[in-house]
Amino acid sequence: MEVGLLAIGAGLAVGLGAIATGYAQGRIGSAGIGAIAEKPELTGRVILLIAIPETLVILGFAVAAMIIILLGG
Amino acid sequence: MQVPMAKIHVLGHRRRLDDVLEHLYETGSVQLIDVTQDASLHLPPLSLDEEHVRQIEQLRYLRARLDAALALAPLPALPARADVDLAKIEAELDADTPQIERLAHQLDDLGAELDTLPRYVASLKRLLPLVPELPDLAGYEVVALLIDVAHQGVIGDLNAEMEELIGSNFTILSDRVDAQTIGAVLVFPRKQSARVQDLLGHERVTRVRLPDRFAGMPFQQAISAMERRLMEVPAELDATRHELQRLIGTHIDWPAARVHLDARIAQLEAVGHLGATPHTFVLSGWMPRRGVATLRSDLARKLGGEVIVEEVAPAPSETPPVLLSNPPPARPFEFLVRLLSLPRYGALDPTILMTIFLPLFFGMMLGDVAYGLILLALVAWVRRRFRHRSRVIADLGHVLMLSAAWATVWGVVYAEFFGDLGHRWFGWEPLWINREEAIEPLLVFTIAVGAAHVILGLLLGVWGAARSQDRRLLTQRIAMLVALSGLFLIVAVAAGQLPAGFVSPGVAGLIVGLVLLVAAEGALGLVTGPLELIGTVGNILSYLRIGAIGIASVYLARVANELGATGPLWLGIIIAALFHALNVALGAFSPTIQSLRLHYVEFFSKFYEEGGREYEPFGNGSTATSSRQ
Repeated sequence: MEVGLLAIGAGLAVGLGAIATGYAQGRIGSAGIGAIAEKPELTGRVILLIAIPETLVILGFAVAAMIIILLGG
Repeated sequence: MQVPMAKIHVLGHRRRLDDVLEHLYETGSVQLIDVTQDASLHLPPLSLDEEHVRQIEQLRYLRARLDAALALAPLPALPARADVDLAKIEAELDADTPQIERLAHQLDDLGAELDTLPRYVASLKRLLPLVPELPDLAGYEVVALLIDVAHQGVIGDLNAEMEELIGSNFTILSDRVDAQTIGAVLVFPRKQSARVQDLLGHERVTRVRLPDRFAGMPFQQAISAMERRLMEVPAELDATRHELQRLIGTHIDWPAARVHLDARIAQLEAVGHLGATPHTFVLSGWMPRRGVATLRSDLARKLGGEVIVEEVAPAPSETPPVLLSNPPPARPFEFLVRLLSLPRYGALDPTILMTIFLPLFFGMMLGDVAYGLILLALVAWVRRRFRHRSRVIADLGHVLMLSAAWATVWGVVYAEFFGDLGHRWFGWEPLWINREEAIEPLLVFTIAVGAAHVILGLLLGVWGAARSQDRRLLTQRIAMLVALSGLFLIVAVAAGQLPAGFVSPGVAGLIVGLVLLVAAEGALGLVTGPLELIGTVGNILSYLRIGAIGIASVYLARVANELGATGPLWLGIIIAALFHALNVALGAFSPTIQSLRLHYVEFFSKFYEEGGREYEPFGNGSTATSSRQ
C-alpha cells in the first residue's frame, strides 16, 4: 500500500509538472511561431523561450526521483 | 574566436578610384562605412556625376534584361570574367529579345490555357443539363451565367427586366450547380443581342465568357473542342520550352556577364559611400587586422604610391562588426551560435565550448552503440547527398555526426546496444553506470556535470567582466561562485561525503556570497540576490534532464525488446524494429534540443554577451553595405 502511494506521489510530481510545462510551452510556442513568421531571425530566441518552462517538469522529475530513491528505499 | 578588426582609411587620387574599388570588390575584405556615418571624417560624400548615374542606370537595365532572359532558361553559372564585352551582350539581347519575348508569351498563353480550360469544361458541364433541347437554335443566342446564391433574387429581376426590354420572346433556365453558385442559361433572339448584353452588364451576374477560339460554339461542341485542346497543349508547351532553351543556350557567356554586371554596379554604387576632397577620395571601412598589411602592399604594387592605406583608431561610439573564425571542426557550430545572436565585438566567442560540450551532452543522453551507429550512418548519408543544397544541412549534419559518435562512445560506457540487447546477447557489462538500475548515481553524476558546466560559465563570466572592467558584474559573478562553493560544501557534508567540520566554512561561504550578491545588486538586491542564487541552483538541477532523457530512452528500448520477444519471431522483429526506429528518431531530435537549451539558457546566461553585428564585406558575392553605428 505504502509503495503504491509513493508511486502515485512520484507520478503526480512528474505528471503535474509535465501538464504545466505543456500548457506554458503551448502558449509560448504559438506566440513564438507567429513571431518567427514575421522575423525569422528570432528562431534561436524562440527556441530558448519555448525551452524555459521545461524546468518545471525537470524539477518534478527530481522530486519523483527523490520520492522513489529516498523513501522507496 | 573573434577576428580582431581594424578601421582603415584608403586615400588616393580620384583617377585611381575605379582601380581601388575593383581590387576591394575582388578581394572582398573590407566592409565599407558610409562617410556620413564615420565620426572621424568630416568630409562631404563623393557625389555621383551625371556620367556615373547614367552608367549605373544602363548597367541595371542590361542586368534586368539578362535576368529576364536567364529566368526563362537558366544556364550553368560561370565565374566572372574581366574580358566580358558588354556591348556584344547588349547587341545579342537586342537581336534575340523579340524572339525570346514571343516564345515567353507563347509559354504564358499555353500555361494559361492549361490552367483555365479545365475550369471552363467543369463550368460548362454543370450548365449542360440546363440547355434546352431545341432542334434548332439558329437565330438565337445562348448566354451562360453564374450567380452567387446570396444574390439569387437577381434571376427574378432579370426575368422582369428582359420582359420589359424584349417582350416574352426569351427563356431563362436556372438551377443550383454547387453549394455557392446558381447556374442560369438565357436564350434570346440574336437580333436583341446588344440590348441584352447592355442589361447583363448592370446585373450582379458573372457571364461565362468562353475564350475567343471557342466563342459562339454550342455548349456540347465547346466542351469537346476544349478537351481536345487540353490534350494538345502539353506537347506544344514542351516544344516551346525546348526552342527557348535552344535559343538562350547559344549564349553561354551570359551568366558570366551577369556576374560581371553585379560587380560593376556594386562598384559604381559604392562610390556614393565615399568621402571626397577636390582631388582625392577617402574610403572608410572595417577589415580583419591581419589583412591590412596585405591590402597595403597589394595596392602599392598595383597602383604605385598613389593610394595610401592607413589604420585609424575607431571613435568610442563606433563598434566594429563581428567575424568569427574557428578551426574547421568547430566552424559548423558557429551556425548554432548565430541562431541565438552573434557575440558583441571583443566578447568571448562560445563556438569552441559548444563544439566540446554539445555533442558530449548529446552522447550522454542517447548513449547507445547501435543508435549511435545508425544515426551516424543516416546523417553521413543525408549530409553527403544534400550538403551542396543547403549550408544549414551541411552544418547541422556535422554537429549531429559528432554527437552520434559521442552517443556510440557513451553506449560503450553504459554497455547499451539497442537498450539491454548487448547485455542479453553478448553479456556486455557496463564500464561504469548501468542506467537501467543505477538511477541514483546517474542523477548525481548529471548534477555534477551541471555544476561543473555552470561554474565554468561563471568563471568565463568573471573573466569577461574583468576584461570589460565592469565592477558590478564582476562582484556579482564572484559572489555567486563563493555562495555556490559554500552550498556545495554543505550538500557534501549532508550527503556524508565530507566530515561535519566543513559545515562552518560552507555556511560562511554561503553567507558571504549572498551578502556580496545583495550588495552588488543595490537596493533591490535583498530580493533579487537570493532569487539569483535559487535560479543558479535551478540551472544546475536542470542538467538532470541529461539523466531523465537517457532513462526514458533506455526504457523505450527495453519496451521494444520485451514486446519483440512476445509472439512469433517475424512479428517480434517488426514490432521491435518499429519501436527502435521511433527511439532513434526521438533520439536524434530530443537530445539535440535539450543540449542546445542547456547551452543557451543555463550556460550562456553566465557569461555570454550578445549583440554583435555581422561583418559584411564589400564584394566577393555580397553587395555594398554601409556600417550604421
